[in-house]
Amino acid sequence: MKKKKFSPGLLIAYIVLIFWALTTIFPLAWSIMNSFKDKKIIYQNSFSLPVGAAFSMDNYRNIFQNYNVLSAYRNSFIISGTVAFAVILFAGMAAYALTRYKFPGKKMLTGLLYAGMMFPVFSTIIPVLRMQASWGIVNTPYVPLNLLSVILPQIAGNMSFAIIVLSNYIQSIPIELEEAASMEGCSPQKIYFKIVRPLCRPSFVTVGIFSFLWSYNDLFTQMFFLRTKDNWAITILLNNIASKEGVNYGALFSSVTLIVIPVLLVYLVLNKYIIKGMTVGAVKG
Amino acid sequence: MDAKIYRSKKILPFFLAPAFILMFVYLYYPFVQNILNSFMHIKYIGTSGGEWNQPFFENYVKMFRDPKMGIALKNTLIMIFWTIVGQVGIALVLALLVTNIKKGRGFFRTVFFFPIVISATALGLLFNLVFLYDKGMVNQVLQFMGILDVSTNELIDWKSAHPIFTMMLPVVWQYVGFYFVILLTGLSGIPSELYEAAMIDGATRLQLVRYITLPLLRNSICTCIVLAVTGALKVFDLPWTMFVNGMSNTWLTGTYMYSKVYTDVDYASAIAVVIVILGVVLSFAVNHVFKQKDDYAV
Amino acid sequence: MKKKLAVLLAGLMAVSMAACGNTSDTASTPTDTSTDTATESTSDSGSTGGVTIQVTTTYAGEDSNAQNYKDAVAAWEAKTGNKVEDSSATSDETFKSRVITDFEAGSEPDVLFYFDGVDSNQFVEQGKVVSIDEIRQTYPDYASNMKDDMLPESPADGVKYAVPVNGYWEGMFVNKAVCQAAGVEVPDANTTWDEFLEDCQKIKDAGYTPIAASLQEVPHYWFEYTIYNHQDAKTHATVPGSTDDEYGQAWVAGLNDIKGLYEKGYFPENTLTAKDAETFELFTGGKAAFLVDGSWKVGGIESAVDNIDDFTVTHVPGEGNRKTTDEIGGLSMGYYITRKGYDDAEKQAALVDFVSYMTSDEVVSKFAGTSVTALKNGAEPDMTGATSLAQAALEYSNSITAVSPAVQDNLSEAARAPIFGDMASIVQGTVTPEDAVTEVLTLASE
Repeated sequence: MKKKKFSPGLLIAYIVLIFWALTTIFPLAWSIMNSFKDKKIIYQNSFSLPVGAAFSMDNYRNIFQNYNVLSAYRNSFIISGTVAFAVILFAGMAAYALTRYKFPGKKMLTGLLYAGMMFPVFSTIIPVLRMQASWGIVNTPYVPLNLLSVILPQIAGNMSFAIIVLSNYIQSIPIELEEAASMEGCSPQKIYFKIVRPLCRPSFVTVGIFSFLWSYNDLFTQMFFLRTKDNWAITILLNNIASKEGVNYGALFSSVTLIVIPVLLVYLVLNKYIIKGMTVGAVKG
Repeated sequence: MDAKIYRSKKILPFFLAPAFILMFVYLYYPFVQNILNSFMHIKYIGTSGGEWNQPFFENYVKMFRDPKMGIALKNTLIMIFWTIVGQVGIALVLALLVTNIKKGRGFFRTVFFFPIVISATALGLLFNLVFLYDKGMVNQVLQFMGILDVSTNELIDWKSAHPIFTMMLPVVWQYVGFYFVILLTGLSGIPSELYEAAMIDGATRLQLVRYITLPLLRNSICTCIVLAVTGALKVFDLPWTMFVNGMSNTWLTGTYMYSKVYTDVDYASAIAVVIVILGVVLSFAVNHVFKQKDDYAV
Repeated sequence: MKKKLAVLLAGLMAVSMAACGNTSDTASTPTDTSTDTATESTSDSGSTGGVTIQVTTTYAGEDSNAQNYKDAVAAWEAKTGNKVEDSSATSDETFKSRVITDFEAGSEPDVLFYFDGVDSNQFVEQGKVVSIDEIRQTYPDYASNMKDDMLPESPADGVKYAVPVNGYWEGMFVNKAVCQAAGVEVPDANTTWDEFLEDCQKIKDAGYTPIAASLQEVPHYWFEYTIYNHQDAKTHATVPGSTDDEYGQAWVAGLNDIKGLYEKGYFPENTLTAKDAETFELFTGGKAAFLVDGSWKVGGIESAVDNIDDFTVTHVPGEGNRKTTDEIGGLSMGYYITRKGYDDAEKQAALVDFVSYMTSDEVVSKFAGTSVTALKNGAEPDMTGATSLAQAALEYSNSITAVSPAVQDNLSEAARAPIFGDMASIVQGTVTPEDAVTEVLTLASE
């Protein structure tokens, strides 16, 4: 089947997409651009290019010289990686049960799910701090314990969103496959792990990405539980540099850049799993 | 769905327990505390207990009479409308377009995600500069186009002349990428055989979208709308960095609650309760309207 | 495409890391070993210190004393062989609520550097910090290098708990270039309020903004000084009993002054929607003449402008009983020793020694720079290489005749809200100053 190389519809599609892309690229480019400028120059004109005399590495030099950035990256990845993994694991199981089983109280659990998404972190943080302090996992000399005190509330915090997105996806999987597997003697656990999960991989990856991202950017919880420097995650470290009287824009933008780049790398790596399968039919022809 | 293989429910706790135990400990139990706080008089953040309000529902009565809460609810309703139409709508269009092009698909998928990863502080700063009064980007462009008179140095103070627009545009824009990714995920679940079969029957691209993609995407769209509605109820960071203290009457339920978190602990708790109730009710309503019971039938 | 982007991003990261070359390596990789050696040294040093104490301060991030603090802590650790577990963070609302909740949860630090105004009421009322007098029963020399009457009293019970370090003042920064262009003399210690108003009018007529201020974000500087102009240094910090009493009337009059300035157009056109950073930019960018702000802004101005000699700092013009040289200032923060730490026999001596060291003449002098201290001997700032603005700041601080603390420090965050959070309604006339003051006082009396 041969197709016209060019159609007006396609042109419009590209125009729309490119327009939107410009609006989304601009802020990031702007942030990265300003991260290479001195704060004085940013004050004068934040939209100029960092070339020639305006180019400066000082913002980065300042951060890397004074702070242990690598240890903060490591902590961030430990926290957010664990959160993403645990959310995928537990939310997937719960979503599977909620979509496939009928049981009394299901509606109530669904209501609780929606509610769980709404709780503002400000109203839960203080009881959580008290609870965790009484268990002795807050403010300890042991880094892993302190990281755990961030990981646990974050897992819970992302759970509702994850279950809602995953159950929607599981619902659209034809149940016949599972029935066939059951006839061959598979237990529900086995069906879930061997059939449902692989089939739903794109949505698990999506949920993983967002859990990772939110955990990574969740400054508030980190501020409560990661106190000393060796516990710091990257967001809290850079926030400590950038937020203070008068706002040092240079520091702010280099911080934004250092925070954003690893997340984008994670997204790029995982992105292909989301897309798998999608492209085949829609574009053929 | 009541398939035979899922009749036996012995295994149910194994699947449900980990998620819900964590949520009970870290969300529901603390929130019960929050509900109790909303009926009490609490002097300092962090202290619990204290005296019961007289009458105990005083904060809720106060809310009814609080003009700022009224403004917040009204603005939030507007925000809900725009998040559904703007965020989910634009995201849907973009997702459909991206799946229907060949070149640059990976590029668009990547760059549309950018706004979500940038912190609200940085975005707030950017949009402050975009809408800046003197030398702001928008005002400069308007002057350049001759819409604003340069000779008299005519400028628009966006934050007081068009506050609602100036506040909502960045929020709507930022989260389009989020729904875009969720919808892409939904699209990836549609088996390609369906399209192939339809194309053999001579269906056009638009017909494919209309009769295959949209119906099968219904659940995903419904999820997006639920997320959009609940998101609009609690959003606070970006609006707060741009419009501190609800200036120019830009309160949202999220920002209004945040403004009280440190200063009026029990009242903030009460607002949180109302936000949660609204969120749950609206989520059920959305599901009721949009969701099909059994939507997959080939 | 994705690959290209990934390579690009990775490259960017590599560049940013390479920027610091060797320093990043030395700064990052050997940390593990350094912590190891630290723990070793504490475990086998039975002779002197060997105590680990937990300290929380606000000397972090961009605080101008963050580095001084780091150095001082390291010096103390080296001197005593003790170890400081430091959980300092930038002071903001999240930090404050974390500190307060820590007290509630019993996980407070041993030493806390924190506000001594109403923010401290909660843990003071609950008896979770130790008073200076009690410490002196065992350690008579504690804080003996400070002037006793300058040690801050807790607003909760009038007892002294905190040992202050560096204070602050609030003054009027002036962009001399703008004054010159408008044909106005730079205000000085003799400038009266009426002269100031005339100057403002001239500056406005010359096409500049007289006063850089964001009434939306930071109305408190002007609030403090305008009500100060209807009071004097002794009475300024008093929270009125009612709107109708003398102090309450001073507040109303002060708010009316701000309203007057607003109506005359002396603030930036968008003062009700602009951010502080935005109006600050008007000032540093040569579009506005005056900026009332705190001593901490000296560094901010130094780093934001090209020609620092265009800038100076002087007194906010006064009227009535307030002389132009009577200023707002004080010691709003200090070191607390918590009850939990003090009652730990192993730690007690180390805690007292730590605070004594951090508040010694030498360390305080270094921290204070040009600002106020409570030292009996006075601070001796090192002014070599200081900018002309820093020199002016020192002169300014030396020419202050009377100091009053900011009255806002005697109001809780909640009580301030009707005025500070809603200045727009007041100057636009939708809320009368009387009503706003009444509302603040009702909340304050709760």
